[in-house]
Amino acid sequence: MTMLVQIITGTLGALGFALLYNIRGKRLFFAALGGLIATLCYCVFGLFIQSEVLNYFLCSLLVSLYAEIMARIIKTPTTTFIITSLIPLIPGGSLYYTMTTAFSGEISTFIDKGIYTLSLAGALAAGIIVVLSFAKFLGKKRI
Amino acid sequence: MKKSLEIIMDIGEQMMISGAEISRVEESIQHLGRAFGAKRTDAFIITSNMEVSLHDENDASYTQTRRVLNIGTDIEKLHRLNDLIRKICAKNISEEEIKARIEEIKCGTVYSFSVIMLAYGLISGAFALFFGGGVIESVCSFIIGIILSLIVKATERASLNKIFAKFFCSFAATLLAFFCLKLGIVSSVDHIIIGNIMLLIPGVGLTVAIRDLFAGDNLSGALRSIEVVLFAIAIAGGYFLSAGIMGGIAI
Repeated sequence: MTMLVQIITGTLGALGFALLYNIRGKRLFFAALGGLIATLCYCVFGLFIQSEVLNYFLCSLLVSLYAEIMARIIKTPTTTFIITSLIPLIPGGSLYYTMTTAFSGEISTFIDKGIYTLSLAGALAAGIIVVLSFAKFLGKKRI
Repeated sequence: MKKSLEIIMDIGEQMMISGAEISRVEESIQHLGRAFGAKRTDAFIITSNMEVSLHDENDASYTQTRRVLNIGTDIEKLHRLNDLIRKICAKNISEEEIKARIEEIKCGTVYSFSVIMLAYGLISGAFALFFGGGVIESVCSFIIGIILSLIVKATERASLNKIFAKFFCSFAATLLAFFCLKLGIVSSVDHIIIGNIMLLIPGVGLTVAIRDLFAGDNLSGALRSIEVVLFAIAIAGGYFLSAGIMGGIAI
């Protein structure tokens, strides 16, 4: 049940950001679909993988791959799908709890949470980088 | 060649404004230079400044620099520019037509403000549920999201400093969430605030910064990263201030 709610809301969130970034037409649909893929991967991998950081890395990898492929099919900049599809993976919750612990002055918890949030963001970045490097390596002209 | 340079600068500037990565803009300028018959094209671009030189057959060189401000995210514009560049490189478009297209793209099409407001509400409502909130919290978050869209618009219109604007938006959103708590509508502000914070987190900035850094544009990547960190601190600061104020009042 929680999973279903997460998948639906994650997709809606990505759709909302796609609207904010002025994505139109069929690209809007595929941007929201990217959000769906991201949350779906996150939920399904979460069943098997204990480490949240590893989960984030794998999701980011798959979603970036999706973005690169879609960008080539639809002939549009990769940014379109990267920035919207990764939205559900942004560690907003964990960032918030880092903030609250900083506010209440629990320094050791703050450091724990802070490092955890940074590792999630790092995992996200690593996924993007791996795909970006491979896309460059394959060396197709992007225009 | 002078006219070509003008066109290239226009296209590059619009690409920057619509939020393209540096490597994409530089690459596009290289392609355009070749398409316009320049012997050599040099482009140096960082987040807020672009500088391009074209050399023609007679070894005369033409240079222009532009200061680029008001960088945002407008994917529709980027897509159209991309199409235009592809057309120019395929060389089946006249100079007048290119100019007309650039003007058309500059004006752009954006969603109406009511759609934007709805998107703000949708995002915060959805993420309040996503991070484990209840239905009531999601509704509160939805409403605060819509109010936040008005606040963001107001800060943009007042052309506030971007970092202070983030601080203020975060302060206002958290304050509203604490009001919901004080009125007894919800039992905890956590998920409402998370929903609203998702709106303020510079997710695009972070993604573009990473892509810039690892595409070899270290300087731009670093500049953007600094901006992201400052925004994050401003958001936390806004939260601290309102939590401090509301925490001190016992109702």
